[in-house]
Amino acid sequence: MMKTLIAGALVALCVAILVVDYAMATRQPFAARPAAEQKRVTAARLARKSRDNAVAWVLIAAAATFLTFAKGLVKPEKPSAPGEQDRQAKAPGPLRSATPPELDLSFVDQVVAKIGRGKEAGIPLLQAIQKHYRYLPDEALRRVCELTEITPAEIAGTSSFYGQFRRSPVGEHIVRVCHGTACHVSGARQITEELRRYLAIPDGEDTDAARMFTLDEVACLGCCSLAPVLMVDGHTAGKLTPATACDSLKVTA
Amino acid sequence: MRRGAVEIRIGLGSCGVASGGEAVRDALVRAGATVKTVGCNGMCYREPLVEVVEADGRVATYANVTPEMARGIVRRHGWQAEPPAPPKHQHRIVLENCGIVDPLNIDDYLARDGYRALTMSPDEVIATISESGLRGRGGAGFPTGRKWALGRAQAGDVKYVICNGDEGDPGAFMDRLVLESDPHRVLEGLAIAAYAIGAAEGYLYIRAEYPLAVHHIRAAIREAAGRGLLGRLHLEVREGAGAFVCGEETALIQSLEGKRGMPKLRPPYPVERGFRGRPTVINNVETLACVPWIIRHGAGAFAALGTKSSRGTKVFALAGKINRGGLIEVPMGITIREVVEDIGGGIKNGRAFKAVQLGGPSGGCIPARLSDTPIDYDALAQTGAIMGSGGLVVLDDRDCMVDIARFFLKFTQAESCGKCTFCRIGTKRMLEILERLCEGKGRPDDLEKLETLADYVGRGSLCGLGQTAPNPVLTTLRYFREEYEAHLRERRCPAGRCPALIRYRVTDNCIGCTLCAQACPVGAIAYRPYEKHEVDDQLCTRCDMCRQACQDDAIEVL
Repeated sequence: MMKTLIAGALVALCVAILVVDYAMATRQPFAARPAAEQKRVTAARLARKSRDNAVAWVLIAAAATFLTFAKGLVKPEKPSAPGEQDRQAKAPGPLRSATPPELDLSFVDQVVAKIGRGKEAGIPLLQAIQKHYRYLPDEALRRVCELTEITPAEIAGTSSFYGQFRRSPVGEHIVRVCHGTACHVSGARQITEELRRYLAIPDGEDTDAARMFTLDEVACLGCCSLAPVLMVDGHTAGKLTPATACDSLKVTA
Repeated sequence: MRRGAVEIRIGLGSCGVASGGEAVRDALVRAGATVKTVGCNGMCYREPLVEVVEADGRVATYANVTPEMARGIVRRHGWQAEPPAPPKHQHRIVLENCGIVDPLNIDDYLARDGYRALTMSPDEVIATISESGLRGRGGAGFPTGRKWALGRAQAGDVKYVICNGDEGDPGAFMDRLVLESDPHRVLEGLAIAAYAIGAAEGYLYIRAEYPLAVHHIRAAIREAAGRGLLGRLHLEVREGAGAFVCGEETALIQSLEGKRGMPKLRPPYPVERGFRGRPTVINNVETLACVPWIIRHGAGAFAALGTKSSRGTKVFALAGKINRGGLIEVPMGITIREVVEDIGGGIKNGRAFKAVQLGGPSGGCIPARLSDTPIDYDALAQTGAIMGSGGLVVLDDRDCMVDIARFFLKFTQAESCGKCTFCRIGTKRMLEILERLCEGKGRPDDLEKLETLADYVGRGSLCGLGQTAPNPVLTTLRYFREEYEAHLRERRCPAGRCPALIRYRVTDNCIGCTLCAQACPVGAIAYRPYEKHEVDDQLCTRCDMCRQACQDDAIEVL
């Protein structure tokens, strides 16, 4: 906040100096003067010029600083992709807060009682928790550590090692596009690209703005003779083209 | 229903369900038929598949059935039935019941001589398995009889058997199909293994990506245990959590113990000190599925099939650019050409056969000119590929071999557990080189560098994943070096596949039908009816959809 103000003031000052100098330069007409007088005017003009140069550099730096800090003050807005507006209208509310404010952890207690408290129960526990909450919420993992012999380090180790586990919330439906060998040679890349366009998922993300679909690339779904294949939730669709891939999402609607 | 028909079967394995089989079953039931739900018989390319068995044992097959056809099948059986495909070259041992028995009905399996195998002593079992020459079907090919004998010889009264169903290899799905379609067979095999080595506890480690297989196996365990068929053996299913490396036996054990699935140095082998530090025998699903047949029919019958070093049959998953994809079971020693041309029905769309990729990320590409190579462990090893778990992906002339190598390296790099430096970093550097080549930014010494790195990664890694990770690169370099050279020196992709190296151009064949403009997802082709179209290179994402849409072969790749 303070930095922004200082930088802003500096920008304003620099602009003022430059404006004044410019005004002075244009006000003094070129006229015949005595040599001494001419010399003094030229020296003054050169001095002003070098000062203005320096001021301009300061202005650039100050403006950059100002913009950088000012950006932090204003809430960053996501660039909206085509087709996003109408979807946002359907799903109001903040984009990234799919976590319910208070998680009901009684499920963790039940599942620990059922599966066990030993270290070997670790992966089955994580699988059950992910099945219930659809991802691994930090609160639930903390609860597991309290209830069992498993340490936080072990949970962090296994949950990051295995491809099945997700530590962040997912969209309502998970779309798993197979990228096995047979699907790769039959055009899995085109399917994924078309789905990303269709759902308007920005680069570097995997879920669309309305948080309806999370797109996941998986190694192999084991239906190689129907390649290319995708799975929406539990439903598999095969022999896809980019167009039928988009249609296959409608089974969830 | 016409006279004589005794059974209507519909295949509802994962592939049958994905092809819309459930709607067909409902339509059959609505039409008044009593339908038996079975697994898949391997003819995935013809799903949904309905079979009608007549009283005299003849089977009529209806392929690609739609719900509309169901009524016709029930009312006027005999109409539109195809004669069953001649089982050319195929010999079914592992798949003998797949698509015939109801996986959720133990009586069906019992009616086909299930759970009758055990009448011998443990030592006789091991002798029979050894004599049959059965080798591990998971990829490495270790003799199963020897593994069991070692397991039996271990001291201690607590031993474990584990069924490895973590079929992570992209392109292979035989374990899924067997577990889905004939789960009792695997349980029987596992029970025999446990009996032979003296184990009282067993685990089945199955990928979580196979929900139907997990469901069927769980149901089968309940049924078999309920009837007392498993004796004192206690079986439990554990779902894999999505790590390819867990197919390696020491990593699998780590995973069962609740740890990160990182392989350990062998020896000690799991058979000496495995799960919970006890002697553990781990066998692949397909290996175990062979066992009941061998015990029932004798070692001689199994050993009579196949070649000298590789006995019996092998299941292959045929996929890729092939007309009849699916699961086949053939005697060892059959040639690749027989598999691709006779059983697989040749290449899709009449294109040219270029290569087969055998053995997934650990295997390699065998070019079409070597397709007379017999399929057995040793002959395949000489080509640089491996038998692997039996994924056989057929490639045609539009597949770029550099891209295939890059694809597999990307897979192994992502799946490397990170324990060994050469595997963790070496595969990363190799992948960078391959990505560079695919983008036309290769550097002059890249091919030599690839070979050096491949050598280091292979020698500097602890487990099979790292040791075999360079295989796809080495085999493609060996058989398709000119394609690498074209990417490197001419910045050209001969197969027209690598997006950064190709452009599309509309030729004078164009009739202005606008199909390509309609197909283009990014609007790179302007909509101009009756005029020759043009592709805007700046907008084009090289997705190939225009070329696939064109009916007049008017779009060429430059």
